[in-house]
Amino acid sequence: MLEINNLKACIAGNEILNGLNLAVAAGEVHAIMGPNGSGKSTLAQVIAGHADYDVSAGTIEFNGKNILDLEPEERAREGIFLGFQYPVEIPGVNNAYLLKAALNARRQHDGLDEIDAFEFLKLAREKMAILGMDQSLLNRGVNEGFSGGEKKRNEILQMAMLEPTLAILDETDSGLDIDALKAVAKGVNDLRHPDRAIVLVTHYQRLLDYIEPDHVHVLFDGRIVRTGNKTLAHELEKRGYEWVREAATV
Amino acid sequence: MGTGGRNGMTAATVDTSRLRSVVDAFPADDLTDMRRDAVETFATQGFPTANQEDWKYTSLGDIAALSNEWLESANIQLTDVATDEQKPEVALTESVDVEWVVIRDGVVATGLPEIDGVEIDPISEDDLKDSPADDAMTAFNTALLRDGIRIRTRRSAQPERAIGILYSDNPSNAVVQTRVVVDVAESSTLQLIEVCTSSGPGRQFTNSILDARLKQGSKLDHVRLQNRQDEHSGVNRFRSLLAQNAVLHHNSFDFGGALSRNDVVAEIAGTGANVRLNGLYLSSGRQHIDNHTSIIHGVGPSQSEEEYRGILGGRSQCVFNGKVFVAEGADGTDSSQSNHNLLLSERAEIDTKPELEIYADDVKCAHGATVGQLDHSALFYLRSRGFSEDQARKILTRAFAEGTLSSLSIDACREFVATALDRKLSQLVDERNE
Repeated sequence: MLEINNLKACIAGNEILNGLNLAVAAGEVHAIMGPNGSGKSTLAQVIAGHADYDVSAGTIEFNGKNILDLEPEERAREGIFLGFQYPVEIPGVNNAYLLKAALNARRQHDGLDEIDAFEFLKLAREKMAILGMDQSLLNRGVNEGFSGGEKKRNEILQMAMLEPTLAILDETDSGLDIDALKAVAKGVNDLRHPDRAIVLVTHYQRLLDYIEPDHVHVLFDGRIVRTGNKTLAHELEKRGYEWVREAATV
Repeated sequence: MGTGGRNGMTAATVDTSRLRSVVDAFPADDLTDMRRDAVETFATQGFPTANQEDWKYTSLGDIAALSNEWLESANIQLTDVATDEQKPEVALTESVDVEWVVIRDGVVATGLPEIDGVEIDPISEDDLKDSPADDAMTAFNTALLRDGIRIRTRRSAQPERAIGILYSDNPSNAVVQTRVVVDVAESSTLQLIEVCTSSGPGRQFTNSILDARLKQGSKLDHVRLQNRQDEHSGVNRFRSLLAQNAVLHHNSFDFGGALSRNDVVAEIAGTGANVRLNGLYLSSGRQHIDNHTSIIHGVGPSQSEEEYRGILGGRSQCVFNGKVFVAEGADGTDSSQSNHNLLLSERAEIDTKPELEIYADDVKCAHGATVGQLDHSALFYLRSRGFSEDQARKILTRAFAEGTLSSLSIDACREFVATALDRKLSQLVDERNE
């Protein structure tokens, strides 16, 4: 589904990704781990199409199609979803409005009719209940005054409503207490599907106790230096990133 | 040193001898003496110029030139027949559920509605004699005043429906004066909507004045929407005087016009009075919108709260000057003011200035002004959810204006204002792509 080859990307002249390769197949859950500054968030942002990053080499193919020339909204409509590490507060834009309009943009792209207002509310309330979200958040400004946990749950709510083909979740676990973490994990696990892939970008192994990955990659200095199964995450937890650093420099 | 703004460098002088003979030719009525006095008051001043601090950024040069052309045209038409272009504008009165009065080219064009608890009459000399008369624009207005209305509530009246005044102007009368006097009686309430429209090709200028007196414990909700055509200009004065425990809530929306200048003056003369001013201005192309507000806390305790927001595109220029004056002894004054601006174009310009004059000790006065652009991270966030760049810009721009809309105190005009706002926002976002 996702094929990244020799990807190099920089921001303001600083090279962050330095020949990265990654292949994600439908039905799989991948975890990308690594120390701070290794390029995890950059990778997530580059896949989503953030204009601040310059891609100087390499390719990103999504379902056989090169997406590097696509605008962020085109990638989204193709089925790529980025759950933000720092969801943006947008006062004055109603959360329900955003959800519904985003869903309809996707449906229009897929040649479907707009969702009926009643159906939409029913669906949103259902998903919010699963995520343990207060229903009143639907009528607030997007992320406006939300707590850290509410913001992350709101990202997962958007994902659950949009049902992307590829979901990239950037540090979705950071700042969550254990109840929020479980709720978010439940939201993600509910979305697991043979036609769908999920990439979890995370600093800690903790999230992987609740969402079991098929593959774990370690990112270091803008490249994937190690790939394994979930035991790699445990090993990292035990030995720390210093161990990878040593391994990478050998 | 003033540059005269961008609206012409010509000296703003109106030919007063021509003005005098035009005024002398008006049919005699009970305003005749007042008009003649006003001509003399005007003659000593002329239109304000950039040399006056309050008019530093806004030049009336072009408007003075237009006024001279109009004064010189051999016969000044005093027609009050609607042109074909004006008819569709008037039709909007049917879609908004308030009691409408249509003032076309400065002349009342409809019957005056009858509402329980409210009297609406043609304006008379008596109605005007208590209004401030010594500034040039008021004198110009009085000198050329043909018609106007006085709205007066009865004591304790709480009329159910709002009153709407639709101004529909057309260059067939290139220079128009409008005048409204509002008396809100003790313990009564009034909801008043003013909609300023214009139509037809050519230049046009309207000089409008609304004076409101709010008696003890009364409340006035006032909404003014200015949506003139591109070539048409207006200078507007809204003055209010508040007695004890009176409440004024003023919402202004400026979307249209070539040059628009608003002077809003709210004078608190009784303890416990409360003033709330909310403004929104959207400018595109080469529009010029100047808001000068002045809140006078003559006594305390009293409260004022002011928020103006602007969205500027193209090569437009806007001005916000917010004066708060707290008189000696007006202790317990609580005042806050903010002005936030969103620049959608590098060539747009905002000049914003708070002006606080405080002569009392026990006061709370807060103010703040910001000028910014659309938040890039919010734009990317929305695009990552499938919105096009244009859609995302529209959503964020609308969000910036949303607070002003939700502060609207008259429900009947909410949809109408929102529609006008959305139309203007689309124009602003599209302008960027041209």
